[in-house]
Amino acid sequence: MENSYHEIFLAESQEYLNTISQCLVKIEESPHDLESLNEIFRAIHTLKGMSATMGFEKLTQLSHHMEDLLDALRSQKIKANSEIIDTLFSCLDILEALIEGVKAKKKSSVDINPSLEALQKFFAPAVKTDEFTELSLEAAEFSDSEYTLFKEKKAQGKEVYKIKINLNKDCAMKQVRAFLVLTNLERVGEVLKYIPSVEDLKEGRFGFSFIVVLVTKENMEAVQNGLLSITEVSSVEIKSLVESLEKQAAPRAALPSYIKKIQSMRIPVERLDKIMNLMGELAIAKIRLLQIVGHEKYKPLEEVAFAVDRLITALQDEVMQTRLLPISYVLDTFPRITRDLAKGQNKQIELEIIGSEIELDRTILDELGDPLIHLLRNAIDHGIESPAKRKQLKKNQKGKIFIKVVRQKGHISIEVSDDGRGIDFESVAQSAAQKGMISKEEAVALSKNKSGMLNLLTSPGFSTSDKVSEISGRGVGLDVVKLKMEALGGGLDFDSIPEEGTSFFLTLPLTLAIIKAMLVRVRSEIFAVPLMSIRETLKIEEDEIKLIKSFEVIRLREEIIPIIRLDHKLELLDLKINLKDEQEQEEKLSIVIIEYGEKSVGLMVNQVLGEQDIVVKPLGSMVKRIRGIAGATILGDGRVALILDIMTLM
Amino acid sequence: MERIMVVDDAVFMRHMLKKILSGAGFEICGEATNAKEAVEKYKILKPDLVTMDIVMPMMEELDGIGAVREITKFDPNAKVLIISVMTQQSLVVEALQAGAKDVVPKPIKADQVVEAVNKILKK
Repeated sequence: MENSYHEIFLAESQEYLNTISQCLVKIEESPHDLESLNEIFRAIHTLKGMSATMGFEKLTQLSHHMEDLLDALRSQKIKANSEIIDTLFSCLDILEALIEGVKAKKKSSVDINPSLEALQKFFAPAVKTDEFTELSLEAAEFSDSEYTLFKEKKAQGKEVYKIKINLNKDCAMKQVRAFLVLTNLERVGEVLKYIPSVEDLKEGRFGFSFIVVLVTKENMEAVQNGLLSITEVSSVEIKSLVESLEKQAAPRAALPSYIKKIQSMRIPVERLDKIMNLMGELAIAKIRLLQIVGHEKYKPLEEVAFAVDRLITALQDEVMQTRLLPISYVLDTFPRITRDLAKGQNKQIELEIIGSEIELDRTILDELGDPLIHLLRNAIDHGIESPAKRKQLKKNQKGKIFIKVVRQKGHISIEVSDDGRGIDFESVAQSAAQKGMISKEEAVALSKNKSGMLNLLTSPGFSTSDKVSEISGRGVGLDVVKLKMEALGGGLDFDSIPEEGTSFFLTLPLTLAIIKAMLVRVRSEIFAVPLMSIRETLKIEEDEIKLIKSFEVIRLREEIIPIIRLDHKLELLDLKINLKDEQEQEEKLSIVIIEYGEKSVGLMVNQVLGEQDIVVKPLGSMVKRIRGIAGATILGDGRVALILDIMTLM
Repeated sequence: MERIMVVDDAVFMRHMLKKILSGAGFEICGEATNAKEAVEKYKILKPDLVTMDIVMPMMEELDGIGAVREITKFDPNAKVLIISVMTQQSLVVEALQAGAKDVVPKPIKADQVVEAVNKILKK
């Protein structure tokens, strides 16, 4: 097969696997969800067809058997139970492994036989065609009233035929062929009798032949030829019959609706980044242009410059949009994770997700997966109680986890709540005291203090559970969640009521590519400080700086804040102008107080220039690892300003 | 040369059908990936025949059967060949009621497709 087929196959099969996984989770929740059953059936069927066409035998065989089982579920011959769902999930894993093999273009060593056997267990053999009794035209019998009717029609000058229609023995769509035959007959006349009944015919419940009685004005040969022209009709026996009529509309099958497909184009992320970068430069060029047309001699250009300004701003918004992806990219795997974890701990959990369509910058999305999984795992591991415990507490035995994503002005907020046992502040504080993380006195104070409690929960190494589950093996703790949120310029908060549940709230900026920053001057250099880390700026007198041991600090509203002299820290000392000298001339010192985690630090700078939107540009690999610098940006006048990295600075 | 339009939401199936049909000497004059597109393109391209996947995602209230209905409404002589999985027979019946001419089961076999197309076009 050609390579292009290969690529298409891989891309599409992945989509189908996702569909199957999502539907299985839904079916597990409500086994009678016909919509999901139909959807999953369609997915596995298409996968089978594709695999067969590509000649992937194992894939074809396994999906074929899965399809059989799903068909039985769909037609309600078998009822879905947890054993069946488990088996289907394990088969899905095998399918995934097989497709991985295809991707690697290696002959797969995956053994599908155990899966096939497992599937076989549930499989009730389908109704076999040869169970239908073979019909004979001669043996067809009619009641007296039917004969009376036939005679009446004959008296009206019409022909009455009994006709036996035989279909090919390998006919794939009996139901459809029967329909075509019946439509054909209805065109030429009136069908008085169907053997078997018309309902059976329309549902395909017959062998490979059926009998009808037809009243028509056409001659025998014309009727026969008409029927023979239908695909898969092998032969037609027809006899004149010298001798009740209801036409029922075929029951209309409800149309299953399928999930909407993403109709989109694939663009490499790298290209989007380049476009974003160019966009940033364009925005800067625009600012310069606007500054230049301010001059009297360029007055005629003013109008066009403003038009360019408007267009570039609009373009910038659009380009920003292209970097956004729905958060469902992360959340779509959650039903499966919930299911697997809940199953492993014999808990019953329902997961509800609201707002998965909300879009986020992909750089944020990349970082968001692990913290969210951690919160979900926490809710399952520590939050939701066992069904027995819940029953005892008169709660719904099925625990509920709720993830809500909301877009607020310039921010996204994500709420992860559960209706589990909640966080018992006192026992958390005690456990921390036992571990020696805090003193007994602190423990007492903490048990009443929510923000203090959050600090404790997010301290490295703190955990109330001794168990390590499959996912907690990843070593992501609440401390990492908090750090990640802060690194992304967001925040973490929580609320908890014992015995009623816990909610964690994450807030995130929409994008990291353009941020608000405070521009400051240190000697002759300009630096940008991300606005989200700034607590306040102030001016102080030199003598307000005190020394504690060898560290410089200031006292601000009963708080001791250490001071970092940015020129020292960033080794700008070789420049001629001395920060201190200049500061003395100005009499007052400018301090920018920044916050990171619980720490606050004052940065001493020469001048606070003001707030501005800046386009973040990553640094080249040569200078990437310099501590204290996170990136660079180009200012309106074309000068480069370095962006301070608050985390490594402190 | 007869002109055929291929409608299927799966790229893979479209590739296969195009290969089979152009191999049999037909011209592929267009393709569509959903019901709505199928109807719109039919009105422009006016193909001699349309192969239509019956199970496609809903597009503005229009599914495969709806597309057959719309196409037949626009052109009472339209020739639509349904391509469908065997297990969707009741849907196929509905499509035939809506005006489709015949059906080829999935997974498709080249000779079946070509035979069905020839049969419809001769009529």
